[in-house]
Amino acid sequence: MSISRSILVSLALLPLAAPAWGQAADAPKGTLKIVSSLPRTGSANAQTSTIVNGIKLAIDEVGGTVDGWTITYQDMDDASPQRGNWDPAVEAQNANTAARDESIVAYIGTFNSGAAKVAIPILNRAGLVMVSPANTYPGLTKPGLGEANEPMAYRKSGTINYFRVVPTDDLQGVQAANWAKDLAVTKVFILHDRELYGKGIADVFKKQAEKQGIEVVGFEGIDSKAANYRSLVTKLKATQPDLVYFGGTTQSNAGQVAKDLRSGGFEGKYMVPDGCFEQAFIESAGAENLNDRTYITFGGLPPEKLTGKGAEFCSSYKTKYSADPEAYAAYGYECARVILQAIAKAETKDRASILAAVAGTRDFDGVLGRWSFDANGDTSSQVMSGQIVHDGKFEFSKVLGN
Amino acid sequence: MIDFEVFVQQVITGLSNGMIIALIAIGYTMVYGIIELINFAHGDVFMLGAFFALTLLGALGMEAWGPGGQTIGVIAMLIGSALFCGSLNWTLDRLAYRPLRGSSKLSLLVSAIGCSFICMNLGLFWGGVPMEVFAGGVASAAPKDFPAIIPQTNLLGGAFIRITPAEVLVFAVTIPLMVALTLMVKRTRLGCAMRAVAQDQTAAALMGIPVDRVIGATFFIGGALGGFASVIYALYNNTIGFQMGTRAGLDAFTAAVLGGIGSLPGAVLGGLTIGLVRSMSDQYLETRWTNTIVFCILVLILIFRPSGLLGSTRKEKV
Amino acid sequence: MVRRIGPITIILAIAAVIPLLDLVLPAELALSEAVRSVFIYAILALGLNVVTGYAGLLNLGIAAFMAVGAYTFGILTCEIYPFQFGFWGGLALTVPIGALAGFILGAPTLGLRGDYLAIVTLGFGEIVQDVLKNLDSITKGMQGINPLPSPALGGAPWTADDERKWYYLLFALLVIVVIAVRNLERSRLGRAWFSIREDEIASRSMGIRVERAKLVAFATGAALAAFAGALSASVLSSTGEPNNYDFQISILALCIIIVGGIGGVAGVLVGSLVMVGLNSIVLAKATAWMAAHDIGGQGNVLLSPNNWKFLIFGLALVIAVRVKPAGLLPPRLDRSGS
Repeated sequence: MSISRSILVSLALLPLAAPAWGQAADAPKGTLKIVSSLPRTGSANAQTSTIVNGIKLAIDEVGGTVDGWTITYQDMDDASPQRGNWDPAVEAQNANTAARDESIVAYIGTFNSGAAKVAIPILNRAGLVMVSPANTYPGLTKPGLGEANEPMAYRKSGTINYFRVVPTDDLQGVQAANWAKDLAVTKVFILHDRELYGKGIADVFKKQAEKQGIEVVGFEGIDSKAANYRSLVTKLKATQPDLVYFGGTTQSNAGQVAKDLRSGGFEGKYMVPDGCFEQAFIESAGAENLNDRTYITFGGLPPEKLTGKGAEFCSSYKTKYSADPEAYAAYGYECARVILQAIAKAETKDRASILAAVAGTRDFDGVLGRWSFDANGDTSSQVMSGQIVHDGKFEFSKVLGN
Repeated sequence: MIDFEVFVQQVITGLSNGMIIALIAIGYTMVYGIIELINFAHGDVFMLGAFFALTLLGALGMEAWGPGGQTIGVIAMLIGSALFCGSLNWTLDRLAYRPLRGSSKLSLLVSAIGCSFICMNLGLFWGGVPMEVFAGGVASAAPKDFPAIIPQTNLLGGAFIRITPAEVLVFAVTIPLMVALTLMVKRTRLGCAMRAVAQDQTAAALMGIPVDRVIGATFFIGGALGGFASVIYALYNNTIGFQMGTRAGLDAFTAAVLGGIGSLPGAVLGGLTIGLVRSMSDQYLETRWTNTIVFCILVLILIFRPSGLLGSTRKEKV
Repeated sequence: MVRRIGPITIILAIAAVIPLLDLVLPAELALSEAVRSVFIYAILALGLNVVTGYAGLLNLGIAAFMAVGAYTFGILTCEIYPFQFGFWGGLALTVPIGALAGFILGAPTLGLRGDYLAIVTLGFGEIVQDVLKNLDSITKGMQGINPLPSPALGGAPWTADDERKWYYLLFALLVIVVIAVRNLERSRLGRAWFSIREDEIASRSMGIRVERAKLVAFATGAALAAFAGALSASVLSSTGEPNNYDFQISILALCIIIVGGIGGVAGVLVGSLVMVGLNSIVLAKATAWMAAHDIGGQGNVLLSPNNWKFLIFGLALVIAVRVKPAGLLPPRLDRSGS
């Protein structure tokens, strides 16, 4: 570390470090840096802002210090203005920057599974732990669900360095289809946004729906930038489904689909995955288009059902940001807390022991439930919840699975 | 029977979408016709028009007005957005295009691309305005709901075929606008001057036509049409977002070229063609191939009619 | 023949020493990785420059050829496909396949003029993306193809850690492309392109085979773009998703050549540095610095520096062409005589 840099860093840290001196009487042992790499430019900004809020909240809660070490956080952007979306070259640059900078001990990200494919191998070589708040593509961790070479292609060093706190598509899609069965759906029309996340979850939903004896009357990939989907609604209405499932997110136009379903005269139910579990979905769709007909699955319990740690998180998030925490806020917060706990547990504060500590996370008391990381680096939490929209708000409906 | 109803419905949807595309395309084609600039910023000016309309709607509290009041509200939004977009487009010409009149067409194009990015960013900021219609401005990048003050209910009652007041509005506004515009270009002094400038700027200047002012006026009118289109679009689709200009612009540009760039009836025909092709492809093929179908048809048409459906066959200026 | 040291030589010489500078500069100022992606965009833009700069054919779909290159390279080299040609084999095959793609697009559309051709190329860009997304049994759809090999010069395959090796490999390939393009410029074919750009009718009456020359321009541009695509995929070890090669990339390439100075190699190199470096060097370092000093925040849309990036990028474009309408480093005009 060059002299100029250490001066810069310590100057930046002065306000954070001050309270620690008061409590611990001795000077901080050093600085550990956590970074996140998320698309901050463009349309994903709305979701990633809540992730960053969650991370900052978790770090603030421990007063910016763990075990006498000062924790700093940097919010990196993996999108570029010329792309308006995540940019693989920028993601690689972020990952390489993090790999080079020895003071960085954890990498939170990515938002898009495609970006994770670029970042994981780089960080794997550097032995840097990576925890994702949003990637749901199963092949990143689960053998047999992606391509033949996955996930081994991401683990060239032999150590697993990639973890995620979100349930993968193969779980959520199955639970969603089971829920549809419970709702007495007999015919479903499936839409997806042709993205990795949306298509992945729609594929799983389709398979499970067929297994459950639900007739799949259509399966279509939409253009998420289209102005409206009225033609498609006319087409699907003629097949008379009771449920339309949309694998997609608020960004990929879930709100517009809801509007066109209603204005196109479709009377049945509408189900979406956790990419839509945010207030922005209701606001962009218009509450009147969703009320009492919209079903949302989410990989955890919603804020108001949380007890203990989760309830605490909700109230402190509300105090700090004067807004209710949303799905991604909880995921971001959970990532940061897992890392902070691992730093506390690690014997020496280097990458290898922090990585080992993250991998050793067991019975973690988090906002998404009590869970452990399994051998693949996935959360063991199988708790999923179903929400409905009532009176312009998400309302907990039931616990899915189990 | 249901098959036929489905077909009719798709024609209605296709024409409604096509009309909106056509209205945006006219703005492209007018500017292109006069200075041969593919005005990339046009779609983003259109997007800002929709944000302006939503702001107006929120500031005046139009949602609470009765049906009569809302009709006046729609007229106010149409006029307001048209003036706003017209002025904005005129300003862009004044600041970013006019200084480049003597340079190559391509540097003009890059300036327009730059303006498009700037406008997009202004849309992002606008979405962060703490107003109720922008959901408090908390998630500035998220799509915004545009209240359906023109109802989306079926005028035909419980029939399968649906015609909504919003669809009627699309036709009721766009067709008279197109007629008025055609008359203006054909009959008025300004229209005559515009055609003269489009033919030959130097000759027009020698005849005493204030070329820069005519070009400025063209930008204003083209922008105003984008403003009208933005309100119609917003009332028809009920969602707006800061990145919607890119797609709307692409569709409109395609329509303008398909119809024969520089030709007003061509832009309308191009827009309607694209709207119909989209509907039919969504219905009878697969939605995921719709874009491919649109562009394949475009290529086919251009191979057989290299200047578009209604384009003039004059040689490019050397 | 006495040769002056031209701007191209100077630019390349500076590029050659950047990794050495990185050894002495603090880590925050390290440039080589960002410059590496500038090289890839420079190759892409040199390809576009052949089509649009030399032959005067406006191409708004150059990213499609980059996608063709990346996916060809991916399918030919990735371990999940049967071919597995390795880095050099894949790279060598990508170029003719890219040229073929250019030929396929060019052949039916050569009769089109100016902006009609532009929209067809734009449409081609959209079609390629759709095809890559929809034929997921072949292309893996949105998953992308990974991992992809890197060159295995001197023993073990390289990894991204071998930054300096990567840097100099890309640098060497860029130099080769520059030399090739410079030679094309001076060849009979190059002169034919300039002539067509200035006056197609006159060229035809001078006996230039206009259609053939245009087609070769198209194929050359496409081959270079495909080459850039393959290199970018190899560096990232992934093709990324089809969306990574969308219209925005074509627009970026166009901005590079026009801001730099259309029609000249030096201008394209400078343009790549300015347009790509603006984000990956200037904006990235600036936002990191601001974050480290707790400047900006999240409460308000205006406070977050990330929310200003489109505006800065757009302003840079507008100002660049306003100040230098012919580009930052325009080619000398004595060649084409216009």
